[in-house]
Amino acid sequence: MKKYLVISIAIILGVMTFLPFLWMISASFMSTGAANTYPPKLFPDKFDFSHYQNLLTRLNLARYLLNSLVISLGVTFFSLLLNSMAGYAFAKYRFARKKRLFKFLLSSMIIPGQVTMLPVFLILKNMGFINTYFAIIVPGMASIFGIFLIRQYALSIPDSLIEAAKMDGATELQIYFRVILPLCKPILVTLGLFTFMGTWNDFLWPLIVMTDSSMYTMPVALANLMSEHVQDTELMMAGSVITIVPVLIVFLALQKYYIKGIMMGSVKE
Amino acid sequence: MAAVKLINVSKVYDGKNKVVHEVDLEINDKEFVVLVGPSGCGKSTTLRMIAGLEEISEGEIFIDGKLVNNVQSKDRDIAMVFQNYALYPHMTVFDNMAFGLKLRKFSKNEITERVNHAAKILDMEHLLDRKPKQLSGGQRQRVAVGRAIVRKPKVFLFDEPLSNLDAKLRVQMRAEITRLHQRLEATTIYVTHDQTEAMTMGDRIVVLKDGIVQQVDSPMNLYNRPANKFVAGFIGSPAINFIDGKIVKENGLAFISREKLISFQLSPDNSEKLIPYIGRDVTLGIRPEEFRIESKGGYKINVEVDLVEQLGSDVYLHFNLEGIPFIGRVKPTMDFRSRKEFELYFGSEMIHLFDSAEGKKIN
Repeated sequence: MKKYLVISIAIILGVMTFLPFLWMISASFMSTGAANTYPPKLFPDKFDFSHYQNLLTRLNLARYLLNSLVISLGVTFFSLLLNSMAGYAFAKYRFARKKRLFKFLLSSMIIPGQVTMLPVFLILKNMGFINTYFAIIVPGMASIFGIFLIRQYALSIPDSLIEAAKMDGATELQIYFRVILPLCKPILVTLGLFTFMGTWNDFLWPLIVMTDSSMYTMPVALANLMSEHVQDTELMMAGSVITIVPVLIVFLALQKYYIKGIMMGSVKE
Repeated sequence: MAAVKLINVSKVYDGKNKVVHEVDLEINDKEFVVLVGPSGCGKSTTLRMIAGLEEISEGEIFIDGKLVNNVQSKDRDIAMVFQNYALYPHMTVFDNMAFGLKLRKFSKNEITERVNHAAKILDMEHLLDRKPKQLSGGQRQRVAVGRAIVRKPKVFLFDEPLSNLDAKLRVQMRAEITRLHQRLEATTIYVTHDQTEAMTMGDRIVVLKDGIVQQVDSPMNLYNRPANKFVAGFIGSPAINFIDGKIVKENGLAFISREKLISFQLSPDNSEKLIPYIGRDVTLGIRPEEFRIESKGGYKINVEVDLVEQLGSDVYLHFNLEGIPFIGRVKPTMDFRSRKEFELYFGSEMIHLFDSAEGKKIN
């Protein structure tokens, strides 16, 4: 009895969560104005792809999609590379003041991101990065959170594996690329997913550093679109679907590793 | 294959904590040397210095006549088998064994040939496609050994390779490693805390305590002629029995224990060495198997046995003398459980006398 109750509550909550999402997709296929009729419709009378066509051709959404893709992939790639190198070094290398340095870096996590926005903006401006992909990629290349995550995971790798690789004749870089990275795969997928989704969905920072409209990312472009086409619900929904789909695909594809990664990071074997 | 030479090698941590003290050791080509001692005695540290995984604080290490103090592990041409196997979990058995060869840019054919050959020697050809997690402990250890032998290194290092295995498998792998050594004739340095492993495997054994070499000798010499009380106590199972007493002059020299329960005439052969110890505190060591039930000459002690352990081939008799627990190991010639009082005999040829203060052997 209790089991059925739990299941029914779960189903109700699931439907409640999924309904807006479902309506977003369905409304994006409705013809103009159909989404605002009373009583509201759950499904379109006929599938209308014109909003997607409009977005991708007239409203230049393809360009924004490309911007978002380049930036998100760039940030993900570099952050995985640099964070894993730093995390591994903090976990396994012996160097002077390692603990103190790590604590200092960790302590910087309590500073809210908004505080550093202006100084980072000014630095990037002096470097001439404003309105380029670098304006988002460079500040996102390393994060304390990422370093911390990788370090905690790398701590669980036995030293003897690294020593065995040394005896086998591996250089430091070979150890990193051929032993450490493959072993860190679950945590790398997790961090990659976090980073990709975080960058893809980020709104504030791209809004600040991308003043040229051709450099907008999807969320910024979408917000811009809203102010212009506020009454065109169906078009907005189509834009939202295009924004969400890539993240959704990445998440679903990597989901099983992601869960493994979170579990494995927390429990030391 | 190569000889390994350690000259005055020390290891100091943080500038003050000395864990290995001036080790001098010469390991000959093709020799199987075992470093043995209780945990924390510096045996693993010594091995890791030879491997190049630990910096050498003082002294010099030569491999094949070449000073290697500043040579990286990978360039020392040695291979090591770790206690926890240290197999790469993401690689198959084949790749685990081939990894070192790939890094050293061997041709594909050569790699395949060597790995297959090693797999054949170790009887694990059917495991080559498996990942380490699909293997049992013994199989993993075999892969770790295989990874070492494919490289055909000058020296093999083993760091307590059997301590993660269960007792039965340990005995089996022990024999396998010994056979492998006979087959490959490779210089081998083997670290263990298990004296049985040391005794059964080593051509020579290095006994370490607190980072200091106590004795370097063949297994039988260590057993029969221990240099000091520590070696005598460490080697042998069940352990040697110790009892404190004095040497007195009494128609020649005699040993008398503190409460005079053991007193016997010492053999005149050793008189000269023992004369300086007259009147001083000494410790008598008698190995359990030196006790006999029948008199064939020798000295008699009356004991009250409080525990009898029957092992089939032997019987362990536990008794107390002057408050010190003793073990006698005798053949099962009678029913030992039927009574408590026994007369035990021992000869004076195989007894050991140690200076109580310094622990060194004096007879």
